[in-house]
Amino acid sequence: MSTAAITTTTAKTEAQGGRSNPFLLMPITLFFALLAVAVLRAPSLMSASGIGAAIIVVTPLILATYTLMASTISGRGTVDLSVGPLIGFINVTLIQLHGAGLLENPIAVFLYCMAVGALYQLIFSLIVIYVRVQPIIVSLSGYLALSGINLVILPRPGGMAPAFMAEWGYGTSIFSPILIILLLATAAWLLFTATAFYTHLRLMGSDERAAYTSGVPITIVRIGAHMISGCFAGLAAICFTALISSGDPSQGTTYTLIAVTALVLGGASLGGGRGGVFGSALGAINLYLITYVLSTFNFGTVQSFVTNLAYGAILVISLLLTLLIPVIQRRIRNFSPLLYFVALSVVVLGIILHATFDYGALGAAGAIVSGPLDMQAALTGPLEIATVSPETEALRIAAAPLVLSVLLLIVIAVFVRLAVGQSSRRTLAPAVAVVVAALVLAGAYVMAEGVRGPETEAVE
Amino acid sequence: MEKLPQISLPARILGLAIAIVLTALGVGFGFAQALSVQVIILSAIATMALFVWAWRFVIGQFLDPAATAVVAEGPSPLRTAWLQYRWPLLGLALILIAFLVLSLTVEAFFNIWNVISLIILLAILILTRTLGRQFQQNRSAFIGIMVLAGLFSVGSMNIEGFASGNNIKSMLLFASFLGLASIGQTLVALLGGLDLSIPFIIGAANVGLLYLIGLGVPPWLATLIVLAIGALFGVINGFLSYKLQGQALIVTLGTGFAISGGVQIVTSIGSAYSGNVFGTVPAWLSNIPAMNGSTFGLSFPPVIAIWALIALILILALRLTVYGRFLYALGVNRTSASRVMISEMRYWVIAYALSGFFAALTGGLLLGWSGGGFIGVGDQYLFLTLAAVVVGGTSLLGGAGGYGFTVIGVLVLQVLSSFLVGIGLDFKWQQFIFGLLILPMVALYARSPHIRTQI
Repeated sequence: MSTAAITTTTAKTEAQGGRSNPFLLMPITLFFALLAVAVLRAPSLMSASGIGAAIIVVTPLILATYTLMASTISGRGTVDLSVGPLIGFINVTLIQLHGAGLLENPIAVFLYCMAVGALYQLIFSLIVIYVRVQPIIVSLSGYLALSGINLVILPRPGGMAPAFMAEWGYGTSIFSPILIILLLATAAWLLFTATAFYTHLRLMGSDERAAYTSGVPITIVRIGAHMISGCFAGLAAICFTALISSGDPSQGTTYTLIAVTALVLGGASLGGGRGGVFGSALGAINLYLITYVLSTFNFGTVQSFVTNLAYGAILVISLLLTLLIPVIQRRIRNFSPLLYFVALSVVVLGIILHATFDYGALGAAGAIVSGPLDMQAALTGPLEIATVSPETEALRIAAAPLVLSVLLLIVIAVFVRLAVGQSSRRTLAPAVAVVVAALVLAGAYVMAEGVRGPETEAVE
Repeated sequence: MEKLPQISLPARILGLAIAIVLTALGVGFGFAQALSVQVIILSAIATMALFVWAWRFVIGQFLDPAATAVVAEGPSPLRTAWLQYRWPLLGLALILIAFLVLSLTVEAFFNIWNVISLIILLAILILTRTLGRQFQQNRSAFIGIMVLAGLFSVGSMNIEGFASGNNIKSMLLFASFLGLASIGQTLVALLGGLDLSIPFIIGAANVGLLYLIGLGVPPWLATLIVLAIGALFGVINGFLSYKLQGQALIVTLGTGFAISGGVQIVTSIGSAYSGNVFGTVPAWLSNIPAMNGSTFGLSFPPVIAIWALIALILILALRLTVYGRFLYALGVNRTSASRVMISEMRYWVIAYALSGFFAALTGGLLLGWSGGGFIGVGDQYLFLTLAAVVVGGTSLLGGAGGYGFTVIGVLVLQVLSSFLVGIGLDFKWQQFIFGLLILPMVALYARSPHIRTQI
């Protein structure tokens, strides 16, 4: 009895610490669901120009989310509402300085943007530390002040971005400089997570008093977190400038709400101490995919309203689903985000291949099949824009045994994994559940396909 | 009057020197701008006298009787004086520098009214630093009233027609919209939550009410329906925010988007003009928030009276009823509150429901004011309600503050914005100055203690 209790407690501590991060479950699931729908609705997304355009649009948002993330981890409820106006501020000052003949050199532009961002965040952190006002009030103050001064600096959209940025915003190829900036920024953060500074930062974010009493220099850590956040803001502003290739005083402001949303969708805690680049990037991409998917449906005049409605609804629902996380955590002791990601990406890769090659054979013709109600068409109709031709149908039937055997292999692999994992414990209930589920699935498949499937496999 | 503590000799000398410099500067500028000599002499004497008095009175407040006894053994008299008074000195120096810069750059900035405004500003600053200590409980209210009085007097001196009946009426009119919209934000903030769906509900109510009237529903019934739906949205908000503790910001934002989109879809069904709603606003509704409206024969808009009444009820209810006290109890410490059998969820839901209700009411009143439905009518209230709550002195962490504070915050914001309009600044400058002013106003009273003291 007592040994069982001890094993459960150790399992619990294992589940809470280490590499398992169940909060990534939601963003990963949402990402692949949206990606699958997006690819089925618009196969052109999976072309060089499609991905290129997506990267150009989504990178400023991802970097804005990083900006928020870096300061949010530091705790005290730091939600930097001023991130949008800050990006706008760097954008308009860059455009005006460039218009005045300064800042031609790319290096100077990069240094300028990151320095302005870091300087703003330095002031922010100093106010938070020494004046000791709640960070959200400081950021609200910054939001109002910066969005006002942006309009003073550049009253209406216009101006020219520096010449070297001119081709960045085309989005015709995947490997644009924008992608390199994004990858470098991500890599920089990942390297940063290996330092002791990052550990201090997370400790301070989760419990500032504990950090202070254990000797973490909280002043320096907070300043550092804000400076990093400022550098991300500078990069976000550069990508934003490349995207619109001009100056816009009010567009940047809209990034505030989107970035906060993306941060939360990515599984970070607004209370501090939890968050990362992987989740933040996924959250931002998810938001982009939501609008992308919605734009492929035609709602006529109410398009933008439906987008708003769906946007809000998805936001609330995905937040509600995070309530399930403790339940899941109880079932799956050590959830591995990487494994989950790989598993889902295999599935979605299949869908992408299907969309790319099947539709390519068909052309983009005839989405609606007239005639009697076809069950499959009714189910896939809202998702797919093209129908399946007889040849593809035949190909599918031919591939069925292969798919079935793969499924069987996966079931066996999961079972073996569980059996090994649970061998030290008494409870085999999850394993039983998996086996039963697999049997039910296999049975359903056999009933649908006739008895042909397993026999062909056996013959082969 | 209580006895003034005696201030030390170096402090007195320092004060006198600053006063003389200040007066000399004033006189110099006066001659430079060729004002009449009488004005210069008058303002010089006023500056000198006020400053010396303020110095004596105010610096005395900073003195600790025990500390003065020890001073004799300090490093040197000048240094101790500097150490003791460096914050007030730095503050004064900053304001003086700002004033100087403005006088040098802006033509005709230096006149008697501006000098008096400067002195009022200094007096406010000093009074809040000194007298504010006497008001441990309602410090923010005291400071808010001081700022309000200062702004109003400066405004009425500098701007023609600032203190006229019409201007006050219009300020109160707009303040009552903001005040009604901030009711929900205050209640929710007392619990430690946030409600960002207020602007969306305002816009949705604005469009929805006109849509219902356009459909032929009797206006009174339409209003009731809209208010009920607003409260219903609030209930949903409250339920979700309670379930998702700590995520209120995002939850309410999400429901706000959904509500705004949903209402627009409903109103565009069967209409050729998507997003635009047409209808006639009934006379009684447009009378309530109209500038030339009348309340029982008196010529002021009824919405002011409504706001005043609701504010009075709320303030008393929060103070005196058991529901109000429980609300504070939940905001301060939820664990102990739930130990004494206060149902947490019920209070969250009620607070958010009231928030939705008053947001819908504001939307309806704004419809009466403008006469046409527009979904974006509430957009400016997104951060303005938050700012009103914060400037008033209600803590966003919950448990401290009240609606009375928010009323002061609303009035300060309104008087400030009319003042900025009055001196000819447009929207962007107003926003800039708003942003810069929120921080010091909050810093005057809402500083959290150092981490050292929390262990």
